Amino acid sequence: MTVDIAFWVAAAAMVISALFVVRSANLVHAVLWLAVTLLGTAVVFALLDAPFLAGVQVLTYVGGVVTLMVFGVMLTQRHDGSVASASNVQSLRGAAAAALLFTLLLVALLRSDLPSSAESLAPDTAELARTLLDEHLIAFEVLSLLLLAALVGAVALARRGDDERGASGLPRARPRARGEAE
Amino acid sequence: MNEHLRALLLAVVVVNTVLALTTFAIWFERKFAGRMQSRLGPTRVGPFGLLQPVADAFKLMQKESIRPRQADRVLFELAPLLGATCALGAAAVVPLAPGVAPAQLDLGLLFVLAIGAVTVLPIFIAGWSSNNKFALLGGMRAIAQSISYEVPLLLAALVPIVLTGSMDLSEIVRQQAEGRWLAVWPFFLGLPAFAIFLLAMLAESNRIPFDIPEAESELVAGVTTEYTGMKFALFYLAEYAHTLIASALAAALFLGGWDGPIAPGLHWLLLKTFVLFGFIYWVRWSLLRFRSDQLLSICWRWLVPAGVALVAGAGAWVAWGPTP
Repeated sequence: MTVDIAFWVAAAAMVISALFVVRSANLVHAVLWLAVTLLGTAVVFALLDAPFLAGVQVLTYVGGVVTLMVFGVMLTQRHDGSVASASNVQSLRGAAAAALLFTLLLVALLRSDLPSSAESLAPDTAELARTLLDEHLIAFEVLSLLLLAALVGAVALARRGDDERGASGLPRARPRARGEAE
Repeated sequence: MNEHLRALLLAVVVVNTVLALTTFAIWFERKFAGRMQSRLGPTRVGPFGLLQPVADAFKLMQKESIRPRQADRVLFELAPLLGATCALGAAAVVPLAPGVAPAQLDLGLLFVLAIGAVTVLPIFIAGWSSNNKFALLGGMRAIAQSISYEVPLLLAALVPIVLTGSMDLSEIVRQQAEGRWLAVWPFFLGLPAFAIFLLAMLAESNRIPFDIPEAESELVAGVTTEYTGMKFALFYLAEYAHTLIASALAAALFLGGWDGPIAPGLHWLLLKTFVLFGFIYWVRWSLLRFRSDQLLSICWRWLVPAGVALVAGAGAWVAWGPTP
């Protein structure tokens, strides 16, 4: 009973905050609403008896990704100090694409034979670790390598920009931060 | 319903205890700083100036609550509340005595680290919503510092996890109580990890020498520039509570938490926490502020590689080391 109420509260919070993410005119507000959405996801994970996923969700998404996005938004501010506003010009097409994706996922989920209750899944952390780092070790490592390559690529792109443009008006003392702005 | 009521009561007790300890910690720091500078510190209010924090609180409550006209209204009011919530939330899983913790979580350490990762958002919100250059710069610096030091912090916290094979803080402390403290044995893994953990915690709590986000000689007061009265007090409280809880965590992870002879566990935990807290303030009142680039270079050139090596070492120790 309590779990049900908690689920519906979390679900409502996620949907509403997700709407605010795409509808708010201010990029910083949008990113902060995104943090609420991601926290809602963590709550749902926790309710589904997956505390490890919930913790990692908060740690990497709310703590890491949102922080990085905030950082990016701040550094791409216009030089007069005003915040770049988010445009909603494409909102109709965006809504259509979102509806299409939603239908696709819904059909896929309804047709799949995934268990619908949490009890039948509930892997503990040790089990999860064995699956990731033993059974699927190669895939896991390839994925890490891919991320590393993306990271190196991003740095290389940012560095090339540096030589052409020189000082971009951002504080000199933080060369890494400038890389993230590009 | 009884269960929920009990949880609520427990939360009220824990939060108030931490806040009470925090006010005492502020008195402790002022006395400590005074002694370091050949002063007496607070002496007027109550015996040994013990009631000074109470007087401070009354003073702050009387102050006018000012909100700049151009500030983002909702976020400006929300930031201090979120900051205090994040700082106090971590107290929930600190093991107090054998088998006693406010909340017994199998993944307690993960919970603490997740909350720690979110802690920077309220600081950023405060800096951005104030609509003040200094506050904004402070917020930016806080984020730059926090995302960098998150990495060594996680790596250092991984060492006890690998060595004990558990993410439950109570279990980590229990194993240390039965065997040896992790900072004592294996000391070549435990001690460096302990040092990195303390340094990263210092950086995450924006204390000197890592206080560039509020650098009062450059940024007025950083993110708290526009805050007055109780809203400022909440930030102040959150900062001290964070340092205090971080000290308790470091004690639990590396110094055996409640483990100690004769006296009950809680006394030992408090003693260790306040020794670490005192150490942090010793550093704070001795050193100068780092430059941003020095700060990032310490993190990425030294702490992160050392952390990776320590985690690998801990893995090797568990796999091939002597069995206890």
